[in-house]
Amino acid sequence: MQRKTRVPVLVSVFCTVLMLAAASVYAELQKGHYQSAALGQSQQAGLSESLPDAEYGGSAYPLYPPELAAGEGKAEVEGYCSVCHSTRYITMQPPLPAAAWEAEVTKMKKALGATIPNEATAKIIGYLQTHYTPETRKE
Amino acid sequence: MRDAKNSFLSRRALLKTLGAASGSLAVSRWMGSGMAVAQEPAAEKAVESFTGPGANPHWNSVGPYITEPQKAPLLLLTDRPVQIETPRHYFSTAFTPNAAFYVRWHLDGVPNSVDLKEWRLRIEGNVGKAQAFSLSELMEKFKAVSIAAVNQCSGNSRSKFQPRVPGGQWGNGAMGNAMWTGVRLRELLDAAGVKAGSAQVQFQGLETGSGPKDMGSGRFMKSLDLANPVLDECIVAYSMNGEPLPMLNGFPVRLVVPGYFATYWMKCLSWIRVLEATDENFWMKPAYRIPDTPRGDTTPADVKAGKVNMIPINKMPVRSFLISPDGASKIPAGMAVTLRGIAFSGYGRVERVDISEDGGKSWLSAKLGEDHGPYSFRTWEAAWTPRLAGRHSIAVRATDEKGNTQPDEPVWNPGGYLWNRIEKQELVAGIAG
Repeated sequence: MQRKTRVPVLVSVFCTVLMLAAASVYAELQKGHYQSAALGQSQQAGLSESLPDAEYGGSAYPLYPPELAAGEGKAEVEGYCSVCHSTRYITMQPPLPAAAWEAEVTKMKKALGATIPNEATAKIIGYLQTHYTPETRKE
Repeated sequence: MRDAKNSFLSRRALLKTLGAASGSLAVSRWMGSGMAVAQEPAAEKAVESFTGPGANPHWNSVGPYITEPQKAPLLLLTDRPVQIETPRHYFSTAFTPNAAFYVRWHLDGVPNSVDLKEWRLRIEGNVGKAQAFSLSELMEKFKAVSIAAVNQCSGNSRSKFQPRVPGGQWGNGAMGNAMWTGVRLRELLDAAGVKAGSAQVQFQGLETGSGPKDMGSGRFMKSLDLANPVLDECIVAYSMNGEPLPMLNGFPVRLVVPGYFATYWMKCLSWIRVLEATDENFWMKPAYRIPDTPRGDTTPADVKAGKVNMIPINKMPVRSFLISPDGASKIPAGMAVTLRGIAFSGYGRVERVDISEDGGKSWLSAKLGEDHGPYSFRTWEAAWTPRLAGRHSIAVRATDEKGNTQPDEPVWNPGGYLWNRIEKQELVAGIAG
């Protein structure tokens, strides 16, 4: 007789505890988890103004200079390579073997017509081989 | 991040205990609905700044999002000259929006603006009577024709090469499809009268470089043989998807060479020049050349030994892509999802797209979307259900009307061209309850 009344009471107490525990879990899983973020942030671009004349376009193209590795030859790279293209052409590449960097600089001079003095050429090749090969590239 | 992970684990442990102890149907059901929306927080993690010396494992290249004039945020390869890539999700439709269309220039003198009072398209060289047309004359004097055609950079997917090769490290997004409207190239050539004995027709646009004027760093020019039948299909387009071309995609007109790689699709086209001899300027030789072998495949050793005969790049091999799902979301096991993507070939209409979930042992046909013509993206879709929780790999393979199909082997050549290996996407299925 006593037993029969006690069991439902125990069950209902146990269930209430479970409900409360689950409610707190539910709340924790459902709500308000944020963390600070810088990823993917950029300014929204506005429209540039157009006039009803014969001129089309007109906006400047944005520059995003990369961080080049510090070291001997960096000034030559920034000086000579940047005549024709941004140094993103370097950082965009995968790590390239030393011979590939030498071939690239030679191509720029011989096939494409870059005018780089021999001393600077050697420094540029040395710089690229020191910082941008599979063995040496950091970022 | 560590805190989030720990609390997630402790929540899981708690739920496990509760699940074992609880006999109450109501409680477990109610908890179940809580679990269904619970997910691990997204990682606050940027993609790496470069890949290699292994192959780029990502669908796209790894640069940050940047915004150029008239463009949506796209993926930066280089800023000067401009090279930006289209993110994967833009390929969920047959036509790529102009604002999302990839950009690739060769020289840093990319035109910022064009004055249409001054600008003329000139047809000159070995012709009977040289011509110059304003944009308004092109639109009024000639019949407007439209063609849907894929524009794909020769180096699209170059970052997949092993060993890696120098050049623009594109993922798969250096491509796009548009409805191009303009004037037939043949009509323009006929208006000038090509003289007998001519060999090629050369195209030059408004871009210039800072190097010597007569060398590759000073100007960009491309040529096609006058005997090439593709000239009959070329148009000089002044409209792209029913809008003027963005400056960065070649305003006011660009050449459209259906089925051919984009290197021939001259932007800001301003000179059409009939040549008596074969063009050997840098951008025709040695640049943009492929081995004269099946698939343009060779080895670094054969190149070094001088065994490889190189020819100008031309038509695009057949390719196909799974666009969604892209692996960003875990799929509950047992849930039917729709695989969607695109396919194209420079050799003719895509006739079949097949899907494999067992690494290519067996294939199932996907349903093809609307046919916009032989040179367009063709959308496809297929229903797929991951039956068990686990890591699944979906492979996609297209076949064109000439019977060309995609192989599962990589390709290698020194320029990083012609990649068309079967694409695979890992999709993770989770336990559904």
